[in-house]
Formats: sequence, C-alpha cells, structure tokens
Amino acid sequence: MNEKRASLGYDFIKGFIKENPTFALAVGMCPTLAVTTSLVNGFWMGIAVIFVLTFSNVFVSLLRKVIPDEIRVPIFIILIATPVVIVELVMKAYMPAMYNILGIFVPLIVVNCIILHRAESFAHKNPILNSVMDALGSGMAFTLNLMVIGAIREFLGTGQLAIGSLVFPKAPLFEPAVVMLTPPGGFITLGVLMALLNIVVARAGKRKQTESPRG
Amino acid sequence: MGDRLLVTPPPHVKSAKTVQGIMLDVVIALCPAAIAGIVLFGFRAALIILASVVSAVASEAIYQRAVKKQVTINDFSAVITGLLLALTLPPNVPVWIPVIGAAFAIVVVKQLFGGLGNNFLNPALAARAFLLAAWPLHMTQDWVNPMSYDAATSATPLAGFNATGQTALTFKEMLLGQRLGSIGETCILALLLGGIYLLARDVIDYRTPLGYLGTLAVGTWIFGKPGELFQGNPLSAIFLGGAFIGAFFMATDYVTSPVTPRGRLYMGIGCGLITLVIRLWGGYPEGVTYAILFMNLVTPLIDKYVVPRYYGSGHDKMARKGGGR
Amino acid sequence: MITIIKKMIGGVPVPDKKELSEKAPVEFAGIPDELVLFMSHHIGAPAVPLVKPKDTVKRGQLIAEPQGLVSAALHAPTSGVVKAIEPRFHPVLACMSEAIVIEPDGKHEPVEGLAPKASDLDSLSAEQIRAIAREAGIVGLGGACFPTSAKITPPEDKHLDTYLLNGSECEPYLTADHRVMLEEAEKVIFGFKALMKASGVSRGIVCIEDNKPDAIEAMKQAMSGYDGLELAVLTTRYPRGGEKQLTQAVLGREVPPPPGLPYDVGVLVSNVGTAYALAEAILTGLPLVERVVTVTGEGVAKPSNFKALIGTPVSYLIEKAGGFAGTPGKVIMGGPMMGCALKSLDVPVLKGTTGILVLTKEQAVQEPILPCIKCGKCIDACPLGLQPLWISAYAERGFIEEAESFRAMDCMECGCCAYICPAKRPLVQLIKMAKAEISSRRKARR
Repeated sequence: MNEKRASLGYDFIKGFIKENPTFALAVGMCPTLAVTTSLVNGFWMGIAVIFVLTFSNVFVSLLRKVIPDEIRVPIFIILIATPVVIVELVMKAYMPAMYNILGIFVPLIVVNCIILHRAESFAHKNPILNSVMDALGSGMAFTLNLMVIGAIREFLGTGQLAIGSLVFPKAPLFEPAVVMLTPPGGFITLGVLMALLNIVVARAGKRKQTESPRG
Repeated sequence: MGDRLLVTPPPHVKSAKTVQGIMLDVVIALCPAAIAGIVLFGFRAALIILASVVSAVASEAIYQRAVKKQVTINDFSAVITGLLLALTLPPNVPVWIPVIGAAFAIVVVKQLFGGLGNNFLNPALAARAFLLAAWPLHMTQDWVNPMSYDAATSATPLAGFNATGQTALTFKEMLLGQRLGSIGETCILALLLGGIYLLARDVIDYRTPLGYLGTLAVGTWIFGKPGELFQGNPLSAIFLGGAFIGAFFMATDYVTSPVTPRGRLYMGIGCGLITLVIRLWGGYPEGVTYAILFMNLVTPLIDKYVVPRYYGSGHDKMARKGGGR
Repeated sequence: MITIIKKMIGGVPVPDKKELSEKAPVEFAGIPDELVLFMSHHIGAPAVPLVKPKDTVKRGQLIAEPQGLVSAALHAPTSGVVKAIEPRFHPVLACMSEAIVIEPDGKHEPVEGLAPKASDLDSLSAEQIRAIAREAGIVGLGGACFPTSAKITPPEDKHLDTYLLNGSECEPYLTADHRVMLEEAEKVIFGFKALMKASGVSRGIVCIEDNKPDAIEAMKQAMSGYDGLELAVLTTRYPRGGEKQLTQAVLGREVPPPPGLPYDVGVLVSNVGTAYALAEAILTGLPLVERVVTVTGEGVAKPSNFKALIGTPVSYLIEKAGGFAGTPGKVIMGGPMMGCALKSLDVPVLKGTTGILVLTKEQAVQEPILPCIKCGKCIDACPLGLQPLWISAYAERGFIEEAESFRAMDCMECGCCAYICPAKRPLVQLIKMAKAEISSRRKARR
C-alpha cells in the first residue's frame, strides 16, 4: 500500500510554520544574521535563495533515481553551485550596488544549509512537483523572515524604512539604536522572533489538543 | 493537645540571613555612592537613578505578571539592577536611556534566562554594554561638570590619562569624585564606604575586589607609562574610571561570579587583567564593563575547575599514586 | 597537658542556647506507665527477644540478645510485666518496628546477681572489658549508636594509637554530656580508661568545647590521677564534635572518605556518655538501661536534664519538665541541627536520644524556598569541603550520577549548608535523596 503523499498545498505551506527554515529548523543562520540590516537587503537575499532553491530542488528531484547514495552530497553541491553562479553573475551585471552590499554572502549560498537541507530531506525523496512547491514554500518563508528581521533592524537601527525610493521618514523624538545594525542586534531580533513564533505555535497546539483529545 | 506539630527535615534552626536581607544590604551599600552622585552632578543624576530603578522594578513586575510567574519584586534584586545601571551612566543622558536599559537588563538579561539566580551575565552591566552599543554618543559624551552642574563635552579623565600617562587631578579630587564620570563611579570615598559595609556584613568576599584592584594597580604601575616600565600611576588607575564600583559591586555579584573563595580571587584577577589590557592596548578608553562581562562568561569554567579541597582527599591522592598506608 | 584548638574547616556559628538547661542538675525522671524498647536501637542487626508477653522482668534483666558481632543486647530498665511484643512507630527510622512493651510495677526491683564487676581496671583484662560492654548492651550514646564492643574490637590490621573522648557536644541546646562531665567526671574518666585499655590504645585525649568551662575544670581534676591523658579545649563552632572534624582538628589527620572510619588513621572516638555507661557497667554491674536526656527549648516550662529509663515516652519527659510553655510548634528528638522532628509525642526515648527539644510556634515557621543565588555560603560552611549547591541542584533535577561525581556520598548531613543558606533551600534533604538513590543504584549494580 502506497503511503498517502502529502498534497502540493501542504508542501508549500509547511515551510512557513512547521518547517520554517529560520525559526523552526534554525538553518541558514549565516545570511539571516549577516545581511538583514535592512528590509531591501533581506528581500534580495531571499529572492536569490528562492531561485537557487527551486533550481536545485528541481534537478535533485529529477535525478533522484540516478544519483548514487554514496556520493549524493557532492552531486547536490554541483547542482546547487550552478544556479548560484548564475545568480552571482546576473546580480553583478544588473544590480551591482546590491551585489556590493550582499557581497560574499551570494556565493556562500552554495553552502547555505537551507538548500542542502531541502535537497537531502525532501527533493531527494519526492517527485518534481512536490519539490518545486517545497522549494517555493521554504524560499518564500525564508525571504519573509529576512524581510521581517531586516525591517525591524533597519527601523530600530536607523529610525527609518526604505523600500527603493519610497522612504518612511524617521519618527520624531526617536533616536536610533546603532546596536541593532550590528551582529548582536541581529541575534537579539532573531531570538525574540523565534520565541514569539514558538509561543504562537505552542498556543495553537494547545488549542488543537483541547479540541480533539486524541491530539 | 489539638495543635499539630510541624514535621520538617533537619536542620530545625536556620541562620537569620535571607536573600532579601542580602539584597537590601547591597542597596544600602550603594546609597552613599548614589547620594554622592546626586551631590556632584545635581538633580539630573537623581532623575536618572529614579527612572532606572522604577523601570527595573516595573519591568520585572510586568514580565512576571505576563508570563504568570510569581511576582518577586520584593526581593530587592531589581532595585539593585536599576540602581547599579544608573550609577554607571553619564549624568546627562536622556531619561529614556536608563528606562530602556533597565527594562533590557531585567527582561532580556535576567528574566528570559530564568530570573533570579539563572542569568549568566550581570544584568546591569549587560544593559550598559547594550546601551553603549546602541547609543554610543550619549554614553560617551553626556558628561556634567561636578558641582557646577553644567554640561561638559571634554573627554573623561581616564581618556586623557591614557594619552599622557599622567593626570591633572589631585588626590583629594579623585577621592571625593570631583571629576567627569558616570553618576556613581567618581566618588571613591562613598564607594569605599559601601564596600566596607558589604565586607563587614559578610555579603561579599574580599578576594574579588582585592584581586581586581590589586592586579589593576600593579599592572598599571608596571606597564602604565608607554615606553617605560614601573613608571605608571597605580592610584589613578583604580581611582579613575569605573574600576572601584566594578570591583566592589559588579564583579562580586553572586549569580555571575564563581562560588568558591579561590574562584572569586581568580575572578578578581581576571577582571583586573582584562581591564588592564583593554585600557592600555585596546581601542576603548574604559574596559571595566567588558572585563567583568567576559569574566561572567568564564565563571562556569572557573566553577568547574576551581573546586574546594574535600575532606580526606589526601588519601585518594595517595591511593592514586599507588603508595599510602 | 592542655591544648587549645581553634582551627576548623567550614562550620557555622550557631547560637548554642545551652544556658537554658546547663545549670539544671541531672534528676531521675521517674518510672512512667509504659516502656517501649525497640529491637533496633543501634546500627547493625536487630536484637532477638528472650521474653514472652506476660513474663515478669526485673531491672537489669536481659530481655533481648545480640545477633552477630555488630549488634547490642537489651535489658529491662525497671521491674514489671511484659505487656506485648509488637510493632511500634520508631521515631528515627520513621517506620513500624518490633518492640518489647513493659508495664512497670513501680517497685524498681533489680535482677538477682546485679553486682559490681570490678572496682579498678587493673583486675580486668581487655578481653573482659569488651565482654562487659557487650553484655551490658552499650552503644555509642552520641546518637549513631554503633555497638561499643564492636568499636573497641577493631580489625587486626589496623594500628590504633589514639582514643578521643568526645565531650564537645556541639549541637546547640543539648547539655546532657555537659552535665555528665560536670557531675560524674570521675566515672567518665574511669570509663574512658576502660575503653582505652580494651582497645589497647595508650594515648587518650579528652575533647571539650570552650563553652563549658566548668566541665573542663571538673574533667581536669578527674584526669589528674591518670597517665597518658591529655585535654584538648576547642573553640565553639558547629559541627565541632563530628568524629571526622575532631580527628582533623585535634590530631591533624583526615579520615578517608566513606566508607573510611577514624580507625583507618589509628583513631577511635567515643562519646562521654558511652564512657560513663561503661563505667557504670563495670563499677555497679548495671547494664545500659538509662541515659541522660536533656529536655529543653523555649517551648518547655522548665528545661531540665533527666536520667531517663530507656523506653520512657517523650510526652512523659515533657510533662516532667513542667509541660509546654505556650503552644509547641515543633518537637525534635536530638539536637536542632541533626535531630528528627516528631509528629507524635507517643514515642520512646532510645539509647541514642541525647535530648528532646521543643520549639515554640513562633520558632517553627517554614520559610519560603527561593531559587539558589549561588552565594557560595554553603561551600564555605561545609566541613567536608563539598559543594552542596551543585549536589542539590543535580539531585533536584534527577542527575544522580552528576551528584555522585560531586561527592554526594561523602556528606554526613550535618546541616551546616541548609543552616546558612539565605534562600532557605532544603539542601540536606536533597543531598539525602541523592544519597539514597546512589546507594540503591549501587546495590542494583551488584
């Protein structure tokens, strides 16, 4: 009897709460902490990750029956490195300013745990459509996380929020806390958000449990 | 006899020492420094102390109410945190600085790690470090001239002292605290009074302040003057800056310092060495905050390796050597 | 030769409260309506009853005989009838335990053949003294109740050189040993010499805390006629009188960690009450059927020192001491630091009962337990150099192996740590819990 395969919708949605890369699995910490000094940085980093993740998930899923188990990780890395090079070159060519800000963290996507994690734990075992949904879900959740952290740090650290040319002006009387733009600020924001998400999940779980005692 | 007898495990008598009493002793010991700060830097200092203490106590109460824990503001530990934080702030900072700092100290540094007894950093110092990183300009420039109460913009004596290796202050000025500096750190006499009170009440161990100030004084004497050995000024090294308040009130914090007497000595020496290194060769003019915070982090390690000699250990040692009776 | 000793590892200065009862001479408490004698009075195998219900017994008659080497005989403290042999509540073991219940007839008739064994020590051999100690059912009267005949018969391979007579009585409130030394100094020293002779030790040191100057004076007088005896006066500090603490302070020798005993470093330690009981057994022939018990505390009307028959109910003794003063909050068998709280006064005096302490309602409050603030005061106070805060923290969370690695088994439960703890944490109880768990695991492994 075949195990009932989860729906495509579930594969997409699970990345946001249950398998949230940043707050539930705590993978991809390096860019999460390093580039989230502003909302825009977080957004572009997220977009790059979505592209790489979808690309790699598709190919890992396609080749999952031919990849020998013993050397699967090197093969994954090759499959991941290809889109990373594409992203890097495109960024360099068309948005050099952003490329300068994100800098080393773009090539470092190769070793980002999220990508390898999704390849190893999902795409390697699932058909292509599910893998695409998984990549989109995880990638978008990751992008959202980076944007939220980035927005909080940008606002507290500079007193304003800039989205392209649209700049929310600095609030009067508010003195920005420089620490939010430094790594400690990143850790504090991450920790607080992680705690809040855990509280929300725990509350929801409790409610579910009281509704159906079988849990 | 209708009354029931109480049955509890021994011992059936307990010492009069309580957590609350100890904390109250620390508050009392900090009072001279706080009063000296108000006298030296005026109404502004009083406002900051008040804001900090109120914010600390309120944060503790609100947090504990919010997470449905027992509210423990009556143990005075939040008062100490608020007071200590205020005493390490420049007198002219905006009032919201101590408010945010105290809330950060209580909620993030203390309560999130489990409340009293479980924080791994000294809350007041961690909050000070946070404020220093968040609003560096306020934290390094909002000085007030003592007694005249007008804002000053010059660097603190310690910063000047580092550049020249000498200080223009007289011994009496240093002792009474008539210099630029944080609210509670300048008046050495008041701090000493509080420190002696704590020592007399057996609240703190003399080893920590002794190790701290001793190491700092000797180290400064040896290396204090650039290019020359044994020419530094040890007195101004411990009288200027925050070493005194740090040695007596911060490095001796029970929760974040080692539990054994020998460990406490190492804590003092470690603080002294790191302060010395930061002051003489580091980028900051003052190293007390980071020195103590660093040693807070090392404390579990000290507790692991610096253990008291247990009774009868000589026999075990001999048995291990294969000799013995 | 008198030495004054101040050094001590750890310990706590506990207000000694000896003034309540130290001036009260030892009085005979009288014969109660019922005596309860447990088969398990001592460390080791329980005794075996020799009498049946309805038998008549006389004062000093053997009613239960020892079983094995580490065990002690039991004698009838007064004349009367055996009412029953049944389980009664044992206050120290805190469980039901087999006991002989005697209903006294009030005549207090001694058994036939109760006669002095000797009038001086020269006529007795070491062998004979051990036999007397065994027949008289003498155990250590300091509280642990180790059978004395076993103590003075140490294994052949141990070389013994010093005998310490423990008159320090470091537990606050208690004055039983104090009064015995003051009133019966001659007999105590006689008993001490007997102990020394039986164990073949030539150097004897009498150890007394400096809060008993009159007892020191009396003992000095009594000692003057003997050779090989020294007097050590120690400063008052709890737990001065622990045998490990005494050995270390007086001789500078540390007893090995458990299961090490003082004889591992050539030392024997006995309580003054034990010496006195042995002297009685030799000089009058009376076995151990009575002992001096202090009834004291702010909760009794007339703090006193009684010579009480073993098995006398606690309620009877409190009645004799004028009853309660005010509402009693807590009644403790033993001293305040290591004694056990009683839930009922319907329990008897044991051979190891040094005192009955009654605390008032106001004294017997339970303070709220706060989290550990890591002040380290328990480490400074621990006389064994342990770290009670970590052991108890591990025990509380069920990390038994970690508690063991912090040497939980070394703990002698003196209570210094829990006394000094500002957060009022039940450190001793938690460590005891860890010890019980460690022992049961060790047993399971075997």
